[in-house]
This record gives sequence, C-alpha cells and structure tokens, in this order.
Amino acid sequence: MGKDEKDNFKTPEGYFDSLHDRLMDKINQQETGTEDSIIPKSDGFTVPEGYFGHLPKKIFSKIDQKEPKVIQLKSYKKFYYGAAAIAAVFLLIFGLNWKTETPIAFEDLASAEIDAYFENTELDFSFYELAEVVAIDNLSFNDVLEDQLEDENILEYLDENVEHIEDLNLDYDDYE
Amino acid sequence: MIAEETLVNELKQKESQARAFEVLVNTYKERLYWHIRRIVLNHDDADDVLQNTFIKVYRNIEGFKGDSKLYSWMYRIATNESLTFLKQKSKKLGVSDEELKMKMVENLQSDVYFEGSEIQLKLQKAMATLPDKQKLVFTMKYFQEMKYDEISEVLETSVGALKASYHLAVKKIETYIKAD
Repeated sequence: MGKDEKDNFKTPEGYFDSLHDRLMDKINQQETGTEDSIIPKSDGFTVPEGYFGHLPKKIFSKIDQKEPKVIQLKSYKKFYYGAAAIAAVFLLIFGLNWKTETPIAFEDLASAEIDAYFENTELDFSFYELAEVVAIDNLSFNDVLEDQLEDENILEYLDENVEHIEDLNLDYDDYE
Repeated sequence: MIAEETLVNELKQKESQARAFEVLVNTYKERLYWHIRRIVLNHDDADDVLQNTFIKVYRNIEGFKGDSKLYSWMYRIATNESLTFLKQKSKKLGVSDEELKMKMVENLQSDVYFEGSEIQLKLQKAMATLPDKQKLVFTMKYFQEMKYDEISEVLETSVGALKASYHLAVKKIETYIKAD
C-alpha cells in the first residue's frame, strides 16, 4: 500500500502503475460517447490457438504458387485484325474477277422475277410511251381486254354510236 | 517499426520484396483480420478473405501510388474483399443480403470461435440491422478504436459524416439491446 510521508494519506497497491491505462480507457469511452453505454466492450470472437503465428507461412506459400497465366486479349486482337484484312483483300480480288469474267446477262434473269417486277411495280407509263414500245400492228382489242368481244358486237356498237362511218378511216375491203 | 515509405519502396523492388512483405504481413495481420472478421463473422471465412487481401496487396503493390497511406489502402482492399465475399455468398445461397446477415448471426450460436454471452449475441443481431457503411463505422470506431481521420481515409467519407453515422449507430444498437 502506498503512503504519503507528510499527510499519512494512502493509495491502493499499484494505483499509479495502472493509472495511465485507466485514463486512456476513460478518454476512449468519452471519445466514443459510450461512457455509460450498455453496449458490451468486447464482441466475443476468438481465433484458433496459434493462428496468427502460422498465418504468414500460409500466405507466402499461396504467393509462391505459380501465378495463373494471364492470356492477353490484345495479342489475339492483332491476329483478328490481320485475318480480317487478308479476308477483305481476297474478297475484293475475287469480287472483281467474278464481275469481269461472268457478267450477268438479261437472259439469265428468271422470267418469273421479271413478271413479279412488272406486277409489283407501278410503272405509270403514259399512252404515248406504251404506243412507242408496243407494235400496234400485232395487237388487237382482245389482247388487252379481259372479256372477249365478238366482231358482231363491235360492229353493232359502231353502227349505233358512230354517225359517219367514214370517220373511222377503215379499209372497206376488210369488212366486205 | 520500419517507415511506411521505406516499406513501400522495398515492396516494389524485386530483391527486397520478400522480406518487406513478411514485415508487412506481420505488422498488419491482426488488425486486418479483426476488421474482416467483424464483417464476415466466421473465422474460416475471415481467414480466406484475409489471405486474398494480402495476395492482392502483394500483386498490386506496383500500382500503389502513395496518394493515401499504405494501411488505409490495405483496409480498403480488405473492406472490398469482405463485402464482395458476402455478396457472392448470398448469391450462391440464393438469399438476400439481409437474410444472409441474419443467418450469419444465427450461426454464431454454434460457432466454436464465438464465446459471446447473450448480450454479445444481441449486439451482433443489432449490428446486422445496420446499413453496411454504418456498421463499418461503428466497428472501426468502437472495437478497433480507430481515429475518425483514419476511418475517413479508408471509407473516403468526411469526418463530420462519420461522427453522425457513428452516433446514429450507437443509438440504434442501444435501442435494440434495451428492447425486450
């Protein structure tokens, strides 16, 4: 037990030895605002005996294991670029050759495709344009009409609707 | 203790790397372990994450620019590794992050490396209800006794925000423990 020589006051044994630690605890509690807190001061976790002693060895042995080889994608990229360039050159050469050697002739087109083209495309030709391309000598009314007309019906129609038969400039030899 | 700058330089040089790394591991192994353990709770998981953390530090030391302190850089790696580990674990088990946290606390009751009392178990349950960052701030301040400046460097958050976060966490935990 400690004793003050002058005043005969006493302190508990080892009081001053542990004062620093107790002070630091107090400061820490004040700093964390948990002086009078009900939150426990430790969390109850433990580690296996000698864990920290063996740990460095475990880590070093893992590091010593050969590092997995990292395959660089960049080197493959170079290869891909090269291959793409070569393929493009080949395509260009063969493409040009094909065009010069075997030009596509109009006859090569399937007639079905031509029919489909005319059916699906609005050509919008005027009568004059049609007259230029269609030989009128080889054409009769019945070629362009869906309902076939008999000669008799035509003549009857003309008889009733045309006042002067001469206006038609017909070759009379054909009708006599 | 070897100066941090010297240690970093030695870690970057081939001839001194092995010895410097040994110093690094021995200096930080316990601090990093407890940091990780308080996130993942289980010893075996903490051991795995700690080893991965040191391996990452070793393999990436060349990229360490020295903009922050070495210990805060390592703490950041350890924190990220731990949180990533938990994310992978919840995905693997097909449960939500919250469900996993509760499951981890439940598992503590049968954990041979957890010798906590009823109140300590309740503390873990209370901490499991906190958002990740608030829990981190609380454990770093309360159990690891880190200074706000140090925590600020690790979590890249202002000291003011950390203080607010810490006090909020304390209040929440106290309320949880007091209840029932």
